[in-house]
Amino acid sequence: MKKKVLATLLAAAMTAGALAGCGGGAAETPAAETPAAETPAAEETPAAEETPAAEAAPAANDAIANLIAATTSPVTMTVWASEEDQDLTTKLLDDFKALYPDVTFEITLGAESESTAKDTVLTDVEAAADVYAFADDQINDLVQAGALQEVVANYTYDVAASNVAGAVEAAGVDGKLYAYPMTADNGYFMFYDSSVFTEDDVKSLEKMIEVADAAGKKIAMDISNGWYIYAFFQGAGLQLSLNDDGSNTCTWNAAGGTDVAQAILDLTASGVLVDMGDEDMATQIAEGNVVACVNGTWRAETAQQAWGDNYAATKLPTFKVAGKDCQMSSYSGYKLIGVNPHSANLGWAMLLAEFLTNEDSQKARFEARGLGPANSAAAASDAVQSNPAIAALAEQAAYATPQRVGGNFWSPAETLGQILASGNPDGTDLQQLLDTTVEGITAPVE
Amino acid sequence: MKNALNALGKYFKDFGVAFAKGDIWVKLSAVLMGAGYFVRKQVVNGIIMCLVEVMFVVLCVGYAAPNLAKFGTLGTVQFEQVFDPLTMTSTVNDYDNSFLILLNSIISLFLIFVFLLFYISNMKAVYRLQLKKENGEHINTFREDVRAMFNEKFHITLLTLPAIGIVIMNILPILVLIAVAFTNYDQQHMPPSALFTWVGWTNFKNLFSNSVTVTFGYSFRKILVWTLEWAVLATFTTYIGGILMAKFINDKRTKLPKLWRTLFIIAIAVPQFVTLLLVRSFFADSGIVNTFCTNIGLTGFLKNVGLVPSNLSYIPFLTNPGWAKVMIVIINIWIGIPYQMLVATGVLMNIPEDQIESARIDGANPMQIFVKITMPYMLFVTGPSLITDFVKNINNFNVIYLLTQDVFVTSDQLLANSNAKEIDLLVTWLFRLTNEYYNYKMASVIGIIVFIICAAFTLVTFSRTIKGDKEEEFQ
Repeated sequence: MKKKVLATLLAAAMTAGALAGCGGGAAETPAAETPAAETPAAEETPAAEETPAAEAAPAANDAIANLIAATTSPVTMTVWASEEDQDLTTKLLDDFKALYPDVTFEITLGAESESTAKDTVLTDVEAAADVYAFADDQINDLVQAGALQEVVANYTYDVAASNVAGAVEAAGVDGKLYAYPMTADNGYFMFYDSSVFTEDDVKSLEKMIEVADAAGKKIAMDISNGWYIYAFFQGAGLQLSLNDDGSNTCTWNAAGGTDVAQAILDLTASGVLVDMGDEDMATQIAEGNVVACVNGTWRAETAQQAWGDNYAATKLPTFKVAGKDCQMSSYSGYKLIGVNPHSANLGWAMLLAEFLTNEDSQKARFEARGLGPANSAAAASDAVQSNPAIAALAEQAAYATPQRVGGNFWSPAETLGQILASGNPDGTDLQQLLDTTVEGITAPVE
Repeated sequence: MKNALNALGKYFKDFGVAFAKGDIWVKLSAVLMGAGYFVRKQVVNGIIMCLVEVMFVVLCVGYAAPNLAKFGTLGTVQFEQVFDPLTMTSTVNDYDNSFLILLNSIISLFLIFVFLLFYISNMKAVYRLQLKKENGEHINTFREDVRAMFNEKFHITLLTLPAIGIVIMNILPILVLIAVAFTNYDQQHMPPSALFTWVGWTNFKNLFSNSVTVTFGYSFRKILVWTLEWAVLATFTTYIGGILMAKFINDKRTKLPKLWRTLFIIAIAVPQFVTLLLVRSFFADSGIVNTFCTNIGLTGFLKNVGLVPSNLSYIPFLTNPGWAKVMIVIINIWIGIPYQMLVATGVLMNIPEDQIESARIDGANPMQIFVKITMPYMLFVTGPSLITDFVKNINNFNVIYLLTQDVFVTSDQLLANSNAKEIDLLVTWLFRLTNEYYNYKMASVIGIIVFIICAAFTLVTFSRTIKGDKEEEFQ
């Protein structure tokens, strides 16, 4: 009998093990940071500093008052912010709670990178966070999946009027606003070592290659990446846009397309402009082989450490297409905060999203982490203006477009970059090469 | 096959006999499942059966029926939400969630199927009771029934939990996966905000067709070939390597065999993904291995020979299709050998010493002994595990994905157009389609194909290695 009991237990344990094994694969469990119980010590916060309704219409005041009156049970919400943003967000959440002392909040803060928010949210929209940060290129997919609440009304500040135009455009789809701009620093531009290049040198890519060649150094750009190779084709005036059904329209194979492809071939043939991924770039900058690179603010620290006082940044240079100088374009990038329409506390989620993106929060974000604000007033401050990377982004903004492209773009574009950067080893006819790429990019989405 | 059909025939015949020859109480059991028990004084059994029946009816009406009603269309009511700026709340319509309908329908169908089996076996049990009564045999009380579950029927008690586990963890998800392959569930049709529906065999046709823009067929063929190449290479290199390594370590002349064995086991103890990611950065285009090769002049030499394209200043270990394939196989050998070595060590120790001894007396040299005695014996004993290894390698996600993700960019435009790469296995392609492109429908189709390939291969090789009287040969 004893043996049987043991056997039964073992069988049960095995089953439990199998169950546990499967459980391990479940989606990320955000590192919960449940704030301690709300003690009404909120009184001691500087109440006058931030009256939420300052610039809002009386109707909004009523709405907030209604909401406070209608809220009887504790407000439970989940917020996702990137790993690096945890400390700042925790502080902002405390400030937010202090703003509404009559309401009990139970806000859980989870870690989710802005660049991968879409992947996690789309896995199960209903289980995703109430308020989450994401990069603006994901907005179309998120809106399509019904993962973003349309911003039909503002309560504490006017989102559309207070942020720079590009950010507002990036936060909208079909003219409707779907998110709250948080930062305006997710695009790319040119970093360079000013002991190698003069300010005149960095105006033209050909000139930069000449100078770097003379110094025996390299210029790095992730050419085999759809995000960056766009700079050449868009700069030369060719089109890439997103259709309503999620497919793309692309004219990279139209007249002039082969000239751009040839230009990229010529530029990389020098061996000075090299195709290099982001991680490699960091190593190569630190080792001193790379003296200029096309990258974004997230590499500012690496470059600053390597080049010290010679660290400089500017807009992207021009490049020669069929003998004519073209300004390289770029994708502008914004980080946005979105509200999940499936939130149980939609009203509070919207108020929180507004709070996390208002002028003061954006200023705090710049001070704490050096992220460029999307808020016009915050961006105009001297401190922001004197940051080289953010200044370079602002300069590039005139030539940048928000990222609006369907999923079929990436893989073919990446391969096009790979082929061109490796010198078209099979000697494929350039027109043929572009035709195949465009076929892939514009493939129907059924 | 014939046996299975006969068994199935008998199964239903027994049911028919029970129904035809049963007395009024047995016939009543067809409507009220507990009836046959009550009359034989098995009251508790009767109550349990009636409860099961009531639960089933409730389940049908409350759960199965509403879901199955929409099973044909997978829902028609689109998600809609209206936000009221004044109250700051939104109202949602009573929408259909295609995925939940699909999932619940499959669970319902499964439960109905289980109930039917239960129902049939109940009829037979009740009829058996009638026969026992007629023959004047003893009829168990409930207490005796329970006791039986711990004695002569103990296997049933023991296997209930694992069986339920398999149904919930394996069978139901597989059924859902198969169903998804016949729908248009992808990024454009993601519940809850959008509906998806049945599309028949369209996805399978896309996989094997090769129109201009849909290059799935082309990619599928290329990837399938590489998957099989890889599975063969990876399985046999690590297998042979493991046996040789075990032989060397077990050799009398090897000093400190335990130390060597322990060192290899330590290599296993380090999680694979850590090693693989480290190796990936070692072999990166500007990684440590490349720096070393450039310094000793190997890169220049390979360029002269033509193995490295002349416009590169590094060896494209993991970035050129040819190089990457070779590197992946080599790195896999390095990772896989310790496991095979452990297996082989155990088997080698069990080779009957007398056989080897007599061979040696007959004048066979070590090589002959290895080829004629050791290898056949090894193959016989490890044959089944070799097959499982092969199937595992077809699905060897870790090595390929961790070594090449974010590093390898394909230069084959047709592959790129369907999000595939030269070094992809079917399973990594499947992962990329689901995880990065939300193309659940095509991923399901590929999943089914992978399953068919693995199942067919396993069946054929297993029946070939295990059948016959090979066992005799080694006695």
